[in-house]
Amino acid sequence: MFTIKRWWEHKALQLAFLGLILGGAWTLKETNGELLMELYQSFVSPLTTLQSSNPTENRVRDAKLMELQTRIVELQTQNQRLQKLLGYVEKGGTSNRPVVARVVGRSADHWWQQVTVNRGAKVGIKPGFVVKAEGGLVGLVRTVTPHTSRILLISDATSQVGVTISRTAAKGILRGDYSGEGVLEFYEKVPNIKIGDLVSTSTYSRKFPPGEPVGKIKSLDLKKLPAPLAKVELFPPIRYLDWVTIYPHVPDNLEGIPNNSNDNQSNK
Amino acid sequence: MKISGFFSAKNLNSTKKYQQSKPLIPPLKYWYPWSRQGLNWVIIFISVLLCLLMSPTRFLGMELLGIAPNWALIWLVAWSVKRPAISGAFAGIIMGLLQDALISPHPSHTVSLAIVGILTSRLQKHRFIQEDFISIALIVFIMVLISNTVFVVQLFFTNNSCKPNCFQMIEDIWIYYQRSTLSSAILSSLWAPVVYYPLNHWWQKIIKLTRN
Repeated sequence: MFTIKRWWEHKALQLAFLGLILGGAWTLKETNGELLMELYQSFVSPLTTLQSSNPTENRVRDAKLMELQTRIVELQTQNQRLQKLLGYVEKGGTSNRPVVARVVGRSADHWWQQVTVNRGAKVGIKPGFVVKAEGGLVGLVRTVTPHTSRILLISDATSQVGVTISRTAAKGILRGDYSGEGVLEFYEKVPNIKIGDLVSTSTYSRKFPPGEPVGKIKSLDLKKLPAPLAKVELFPPIRYLDWVTIYPHVPDNLEGIPNNSNDNQSNK
Repeated sequence: MKISGFFSAKNLNSTKKYQQSKPLIPPLKYWYPWSRQGLNWVIIFISVLLCLLMSPTRFLGMELLGIAPNWALIWLVAWSVKRPAISGAFAGIIMGLLQDALISPHPSHTVSLAIVGILTSRLQKHRFIQEDFISIALIVFIMVLISNTVFVVQLFFTNNSCKPNCFQMIEDIWIYYQRSTLSSAILSSLWAPVVYYPLNHWWQKIIKLTRN
């Protein structure tokens, strides 16, 4: 009994301390590291002004060109469809102002493709907002803190984007292959595609607005089972992202509607 | 007239005392043990924080094929090299939780880092290898390989988002694993002494003082 008491007296403080640290780390994890991200932002904010922005200009110009080209093709097909069936209702249409933000941090681990930007809930960013850069779609806002937000890039393996080939309307799912490139899996056994076809988000996509340019087909593997596979060259320079634009987007599912009405009421 | 003030013993003493200038912060061995311990905790806290905040940044020379060094793992190795396995394990779990907070909690980093903590403290480095820098780089290299392998196994089993075809996903993971692990290991082991050297220096000093 006495030894136990002595041991307890000896170790009680240490145990309490360990418990405190473990609890602290757990809370941090549960709050998605909000405190850490805010701290990171406050450390990094003086540095970003020093950092010179040098996106390789040719790449940006090329990306811009490809974005416009994809947009034109997309618009043409859409126009044809519109002429065919009158009463076509466009999705989306939330006309809030986009927010321009700067990338201040990359993923802390090489298994994820994420970036951290220096704008957060203070300017009205919410999880689920769509992020674009020069060249087209980049990703989706995952978590926000007052001054930062974490973006899951479309080149991440866990992000899935419903896309369509603008020329032939073949549908598929785009995801990352861990190394930062895009892989497109088709629904059909024999999709009508060829190398160089342009890819944009599908009208079936719930998370993204339809018709956003994404990339073009780089290589094809039609014999792949169970579904044909294509490598996609993403237009935005994902590796060298510097500035991004965050667009408000209400996810097109049932949960989104009550949120939206609440927002409207609070705005009034 | 006798000027009493200048040559009296009292004044001499006082000037002597004045000349022995005291440093603003007394040397560590004169500190109370509890305040020394407190400083130790503050340094541990700050070093962990720095390692965590370093991980999302990409400064020049800290990137190889888009992959940055694993700072959390380097800190963990520096911590558990000369400590018992239990403290290595707890440090691993805490570091894992913090990394989960920074990135994404599915799958968790706690398992791989706890294993790294235990293995590092089990190594009994002092028995086999004497030289410090090279051996630390080597240990970090091996530990990155191990933690990455554990993490990949976790990824295989917890992947729910591979709906259309899971085999393709596993193939992708495998290819990327081979490519990324080596560069991550090389980069981490090269940067390891930067974290290890000052921390180890400090902890050795503290141990020496507490023994006295």
